Amino acid sequence: MTSGLRSEKQEPEPLPEPFKVNCQTEVEVKHGVGLHARPSVTFTRLAKSFPCSIEIAVNGSDVWLNGKSIIKIMSAKIRKGSILRIRADGILAEEAIRALKELIERNFDEEKKHGRTA
Amino acid sequence: MAAPLRLTAKSASPGIASGPAFLAERPDAPAPSTAGGYGALEKAIDISIGELERLADGADAESRDIIDFQIEVLRDPTIAEATGARMEADENVVFAWVATLDAYIGELEAADEEQMRARAVDILDIKNRVLGALAGTPIADFPPGSIFVGKDMEPSRFLAHDWSKGGGIALFSGSTAGHVALLARAKSVPMVIGTGRFSAADGDPVRVDGDAGAVVLKAGGILIPSPMPARTSAADAQTEYGELRTADGVPILLSININDPAEIDALDPATAGVGLMRSEFSVASIAEAANEERQLAIYRRVLEQAGDRPVTIRMLDIGGDKPLAGFEDLPSLSASGLRGIRLLLARPEIARVQARALLRAAIFGKLSVMLPMVTFPDEIDRMRELFREEAEKLGRRSLLHRMPPIGMMVEVPAAALMLDTFGSAAFFSFGTNDLTQYLAASSRDDIDADTGKAAPAVLRLLTQAVKLTSGKPLSICGDMAGNPHHLPGLLAAGLRHFSVAPARRPAIRSAIIGLNADGTGAAGE
Repeated sequence: MTSGLRSEKQEPEPLPEPFKVNCQTEVEVKHGVGLHARPSVTFTRLAKSFPCSIEIAVNGSDVWLNGKSIIKIMSAKIRKGSILRIRADGILAEEAIRALKELIERNFDEEKKHGRTA
Repeated sequence: MAAPLRLTAKSASPGIASGPAFLAERPDAPAPSTAGGYGALEKAIDISIGELERLADGADAESRDIIDFQIEVLRDPTIAEATGARMEADENVVFAWVATLDAYIGELEAADEEQMRARAVDILDIKNRVLGALAGTPIADFPPGSIFVGKDMEPSRFLAHDWSKGGGIALFSGSTAGHVALLARAKSVPMVIGTGRFSAADGDPVRVDGDAGAVVLKAGGILIPSPMPARTSAADAQTEYGELRTADGVPILLSININDPAEIDALDPATAGVGLMRSEFSVASIAEAANEERQLAIYRRVLEQAGDRPVTIRMLDIGGDKPLAGFEDLPSLSASGLRGIRLLLARPEIARVQARALLRAAIFGKLSVMLPMVTFPDEIDRMRELFREEAEKLGRRSLLHRMPPIGMMVEVPAAALMLDTFGSAAFFSFGTNDLTQYLAASSRDDIDADTGKAAPAVLRLLTQAVKLTSGKPLSICGDMAGNPHHLPGLLAAGLRHFSVAPARRPAIRSAIIGLNADGTGAAGE
């Protein structure tokens, strides 16, 4: 386990063209309190499980934030009703986009996590 | 049967102690890790993540959420990037990381939503956890009552040890002006230096004679008789509360110098306060220098213990012969000879953390801040400005604080000669150890040989300097103040506030009572 201070280590290896994917999606956040600590943790952990780069932009902003950074996600102040754009670049990009979008649509598995029913 | 072996040494702290030898040097001992920097921080972060994961096991859901959040922050790639960027701007890695986290803490504290603001303390918590991990496991302590035998001794090791069970120190080399010698005298721990290398086995009975300057080793199986360790006489403990006066009735203040918070316990009612707390002995590594909360806790403890009596804390006097563990990764710094306030101004990230801790501690008592090694007036102005900036930031974060008076240590001859130009210093305190060293062009190791001979020159300089203080509070906290032999000269120079090691206080108190304010002996003495 490493804290990842050497950020250059995290850059994905260059790949032959067919493996490189760049894709994007858009999803509305329906979670009651927006992306505070708990949902942010769930989001960044899932994002980090993919080797591609993942970035987010909120409500039409053209500022793309690192989707693997909990600090960035939290400071983006994503609230209920925000439109979140997610883009991914690299290996498994399509899969990453799909998984993250589904996570948001499932309200970050909040209910499941604490054993409550929706 | 062979007689016990007696080695001639030099006394560094008086008293006699006997006990089993503790051999500090192991032939296979690994060199202290100075890898420091980047790898050390990464390792400390990993250790902290491991600790948090263990805490998370079996925690309730609510606690788990907080711990998960903290772990995720520690693994945040943008924190790594921001730290890297600051490092490229030549910041020490630990301070770069702390500054990055502090920036996020500040952002969160300023957030509109309560839920966001509440996260600030979670990040503060992991910041301190990592700094704790970075400070590492303290150097192994040795059994109470032992005689420490080695080439030299780290001040942190001295401070971490329980000396109440007796014990002493015998160093192969060392200096009577070294920091451990200073600490040993303050705590009345018998100590000798310059024994030369001798062989003894761990646990062998050893006697340190700090009065005569000798070490006695067993020989032929004969155990050395063990007299009780010399302690300071308790007779003086019943001094009446109140003001101390010279024989002709001039009021004198007698304060103590302390090196670690525990010594504040020696602050008895007859003491006017703490004239000098050397903060560099409680802030032993770069990780501790970066830890605002830890420093705040130390200063607060001292101030609360002192109650309504004043406490003067000197800012970190590091550099030169006083290294800060973990700073070796900045060769430009260690080679530059920067020390005292010059180093603090050159590395403001260190000064800013301490300034915040001092500003916040000031609300708990009567704090004054003293700047070390000041040479020119603008050094005080620049440090004042730094304090003002940090106070303003604390205000924006709604953290309680108070601006303490900021004064200076007078230990550089150029400053002593020009004291009338230091308008922005709130008070002065003479540091005679460095003053002597610089006046006599001595090295730190030779200073004890020159101190006696240089004393007249130091006294003449002090006499002149006192005339330039234009009524500002003035004291003396150097070793000279703790030596009754110099008292007549110091009184004659006009000094009325002495700050000495707790162990020296009774002797100085008796000496003052027997003298007139002009330094002459009282009639009938």
